[in-house]
Amino acid sequence: MIRSHVLISGDPQSLTRGAEEVRLAIETELHYYGLDDEVQVAFLGHVDRTDVLPLVIVYPEGVRYGPVTPEDGAYIVQEHLYKGRIVEHLQAPPEVLSGPIAHLPGREGAVYAQKRVVLRRAGTIDPDSIEDYIEHDGYFALGKAITEMTPEQVLETVRASGLQGRGGAGFPTGLKWLFVTKTDEKERYIVCNADESEPGTFKDRLILEGDPHAILEGMALAGYAVGAQEGYIYIRGEYAQSCERLERAIHQAEEFGLLGDNIMDSGFSFHIHVHAGAGAYVCGEETALLESMEGKRGIPRIRPPYPTVSGFRNKPTVVNNVETLANVPPIILNGADWYRSIGTKECPGTKVYTILGDVNITGLVETPMGTTLREIIEIYGGGMKGNKQFKCAQTGGASGSIIPPALLDVPMDFRNMAQHGAALGSGALLISSEDTCIVDLAYVLLRFFKFESCGKCVPCRVGTTQMLEALDRLRRGYGTQVDLDRLEEIAEYASQASFCGLGQAAPVPIITGLRYFRKEFEAHARGECPAGVCPMGKHVGPAGEQAHP
Amino acid sequence: MSEIHLTINGKPVVAQSGQTILEAAKQADIDIPVLCHHPALANWGACRMCLVEVKGMRGLQTSCTCPATEGMEVETETEKVVAVRKFVLELLFSERNHYCMYCQMSGDCELQDLAYRYGLDHWTYPRPFEKMEVDASRKYFIMDPNRCILCSRCIRACSEIAANHTLGLRDRGARTMVVADLDVPFGESTCVECGTCLQVCPTGALIDAKSAYGGREKDVIHTQTTCMQCSVGCDLDVVTRYQRLLRVDGVWESEPSGGLLCVDGRFKPLYEKRQRVTGPLVRKDGKLVAAGWNEALGIVAEKLQSGSCQGLAYCATTDEALTAFARLFAKVDGAAGRIEPQVAPLGFGQVAKVQDVLDADVIIVTGAQPLEYQRVIGYFIHRAADQGAQVAVITDDENGLSARAAMTLTSAEAGKAVETAAGAGKVVVVYGTEIKPEVIAALKPLGDEAYILALDPARNAQGATAAGLQPQEPSDVDVLYFLLGEQSEDAALLAKVNGAFKIVQAAYHSPLVDQADVVLPTPIWVERTGHVTNLDGSAKPLHAALLMPENVRDEAEALAALADMIG
Ligand SMILES: Cc1cc2nc3c(=O)[nH]c(=O)nc-3n(C[C@H](O)[C@H](O)[C@H](O)COP(=O)(O)O)c2cc1C
Ligand code: SF4
Ligand code: SF4
Ligand code: SF4
Repeated sequence: MIRSHVLISGDPQSLTRGAEEVRLAIETELHYYGLDDEVQVAFLGHVDRTDVLPLVIVYPEGVRYGPVTPEDGAYIVQEHLYKGRIVEHLQAPPEVLSGPIAHLPGREGAVYAQKRVVLRRAGTIDPDSIEDYIEHDGYFALGKAITEMTPEQVLETVRASGLQGRGGAGFPTGLKWLFVTKTDEKERYIVCNADESEPGTFKDRLILEGDPHAILEGMALAGYAVGAQEGYIYIRGEYAQSCERLERAIHQAEEFGLLGDNIMDSGFSFHIHVHAGAGAYVCGEETALLESMEGKRGIPRIRPPYPTVSGFRNKPTVVNNVETLANVPPIILNGADWYRSIGTKECPGTKVYTILGDVNITGLVETPMGTTLREIIEIYGGGMKGNKQFKCAQTGGASGSIIPPALLDVPMDFRNMAQHGAALGSGALLISSEDTCIVDLAYVLLRFFKFESCGKCVPCRVGTTQMLEALDRLRRGYGTQVDLDRLEEIAEYASQASFCGLGQAAPVPIITGLRYFRKEFEAHARGECPAGVCPMGKHVGPAGEQAHP
Repeated sequence: MSEIHLTINGKPVVAQSGQTILEAAKQADIDIPVLCHHPALANWGACRMCLVEVKGMRGLQTSCTCPATEGMEVETETEKVVAVRKFVLELLFSERNHYCMYCQMSGDCELQDLAYRYGLDHWTYPRPFEKMEVDASRKYFIMDPNRCILCSRCIRACSEIAANHTLGLRDRGARTMVVADLDVPFGESTCVECGTCLQVCPTGALIDAKSAYGGREKDVIHTQTTCMQCSVGCDLDVVTRYQRLLRVDGVWESEPSGGLLCVDGRFKPLYEKRQRVTGPLVRKDGKLVAAGWNEALGIVAEKLQSGSCQGLAYCATTDEALTAFARLFAKVDGAAGRIEPQVAPLGFGQVAKVQDVLDADVIIVTGAQPLEYQRVIGYFIHRAADQGAQVAVITDDENGLSARAAMTLTSAEAGKAVETAAGAGKVVVVYGTEIKPEVIAALKPLGDEAYILALDPARNAQGATAAGLQPQEPSDVDVLYFLLGEQSEDAALLAKVNGAFKIVQAAYHSPLVDQADVVLPTPIWVERTGHVTNLDGSAKPLHAALLMPENVRDEAEALAALADMIG
């Protein structure tokens, strides 16, 4: 008689990580204990998480172990299946935060972030439990707002707090809301931009999956402040789990009367809907996002009119980033002065950074505005990997500036970064060591933009193709000064002439790379890659350029 | 709208508030180059050719989208602007196959023009483009994606003007391309071959199959006339060269269709296969043989006076011909009538203009199939529906408009359409000969507020009505006179023709012509002068774009000559 089932994840990723060996070990061990007839072993095609592969699930208990080595497998058979004791230390960490994000605070050597405002609950509460959220001050701000404050007061508090959009541009949130209230139109919308498709960035995801109610509460507060009754969360299609969590959270909040009609008997109604994107980077741009939400091709709209005047369904619309909205409840709860006490004078509050690249500890960190890059690398990133030399960092995502060691000590906030020709953007920090080749880095980035340009306007659609072409020639050792001149010219013009932020910013890594590392580009034009990364003549045939048609 | 004042290139310009910089410049005769912009289409802002510098504004502005404001100072040809335009052109030339030498648009291409204007004298960038397949699956025009600059004019034309939504873009980035439906060959798509996309394409990407390589703009003659293929009567721009018919375009900002045409007006007449009657014919020894006009008219005049006679006309000719026809038969005391049925007035409502469909709030369609027979009206109804009009189709059969109508009702349910119309703003009733009496009765409560558009099945039906020609059947007379013009008789008419002496005035050979005793030739649409009256009662001029064949005479003139001979 079969008494237990052992399911082993058998997706390609698990297989490459030794799922086959794990199965063999488990089967051998079962045989050893004479359990073959009682325990059935099978492969599962696909499991819903990738951070703990290979995953072993034991039924009927439903215990999940992972990642499991063959030795672990044998041990699980001994302990769990033979002796009936769950092996606690091999259990997969709770699914709360999947991906590397789950590990940052717990990882050996990592330092807790100094100031958690938006991430204060993520990872410590059960995201599927509204009770847990409420226990941790959840929906207090909304309650306070609709019982004790007028919409104007809510808006004024946000304005006074100096909160700036965390989606990239750093636009003052209160001002954006104010624009919406100044329109005659009564049908208004709140849209949460959860498209987060900046490569390597996953700060919004942590909030979405770790603290979904915070976003709902932030949106409801925005709705209350500007007089909107409908909210939409436009979520990156790949974030299936975030999507589920949000749906569940909305459902719970509606059941608790914290969303929906007549919230807390105040007469204020607010509904939230989730809209999943289909995987285009440009749909994070707010007007392309609105087009996509209306069921059209995701391409940016002509501005003016701005979304605050004519947004979703041509009605005034607030589009705010996830992190921006997550800042709102604490601001309402603790007041503008409290918020202003964090961060810098010009840019109050904290910023969530995604640390990537050649540091010892990658992941998310929330620190007050004004933290320097050096602090981020040394304190939170655990220093450079392999004690290599820091070469450059790219801040703000794929279209961010490449910044040299000279800027390591700039207190980072929207204003200071702008003054140094850089941007905070989405808060991605790609740290590169001396092993990095700037040309190669630019090439990889441009490949992304060539693919993600929406194709609407000429400078971006064709400019990215041509920049990539020139970079490709340089990295393959076929480039000349002509390619370099071309590259510089296209980068300059494309950034001036493109229709939307994507095309305007795509050349930024090239422009800033040339600003700080021109010599390296010039070396490539002579056929040398100082970092020894580029293929440089290792391929035959003319690079990039096809024969005359 | 209020007046605003700005300066462009130092020149003071007066514009209306709400106008873009581009529009303001155009009024002041300042030329700002564009590629994706087209005055008949919504602004797009994608090609970046129209970038200008505005004092006080950060970066460059697209003049096609940037509203002109009071006191604005605009510069349209600064060094920076010119450099960016040249850059954009260089990129476009690198993107696809723009080897102008082998392009049928060479000389008339907007892209090429701008390349000359901004001095492109070599390829600046490598051209890594992939070759794409030419799509010639549609009969009348061809799509060569290798020449496409992705300006999206065609897409906007298809959506905004034809309201057909066939065209769209696939993929993104460098792989973006114009496609029909979900990337099917054009010939298998939902395209209705109205040709609007073809007309707006600035390059050689959409090519007319007939006129390709037939002559450049500087070689051709344009003649504006009225389409005679249905009762809507759209304005046509007929393009000819050396007496050869090359192409037909729509005329922007004209009444009634604003530039929109349909396959029947734009393409089909250029592919006429019937054999032309090129001179008068008389039957001698049982055979039709060529004759002179005097001889032929002499026989006709004599016959008309020798016994009972009846004249039957298809309405598809000029107002002048129809009037002359009626007059001739009055003179010889013969009956004269039209062959096609007539649509009866409803007895309520006010006469609508075709354009009224476009801003209607409710459109009720019954007893007519505009998508088949008055296509532009069908497209207008689609367009109105796109803009939020409620369309109610009342029919007991199938109707192509149902697919995009808010409701399709049976005759018995016609009252529901009236309910929908109650309280709505502008109501337009579009109906045809198949309207049922019970539907008329049900719609009556709409009253005189409603706009009524009667879709006559006959071309120039209003002209025939004005000439007093009512529907008639061939009767038992000695002489039957058929004015066919370009329309060959249908089988039903042919079956009713008796043994009378038959005179047929027609442009093309047909069984009836071949049975006739005397045949008089007529001009065809593109050779006509005179007028037609369209379905909303507008008198529309006809201008000959081609000369008639040597031995052909205009009907009105021939009929008048006959009347004179009869004295
Ligand atoms: C190409 C492009 C991609 C963008 N992607 C995102 C994104 O993924 N998430 C986001 O919040 N904002 C993104 N933005 C910024 C949005 O357009 C918009 O400024 C932001 O959502 C406003 O929210 P905030 O004021 O709260 O920052 C993107 C902008 C551009 C030009
Ligand atoms: S810059 Fe142009 S092509 Fe690029 S994403 Fe924006 S609108 Fe599309
Ligand atoms: S011919 Fe008319 S219907 Fe067909 S694709 Fe062109 S515009 Fe659309
Ligand atoms: S086919 Fe012509 S009109 Fe359409 S996008 Fe291409 S160039 Fe423009």
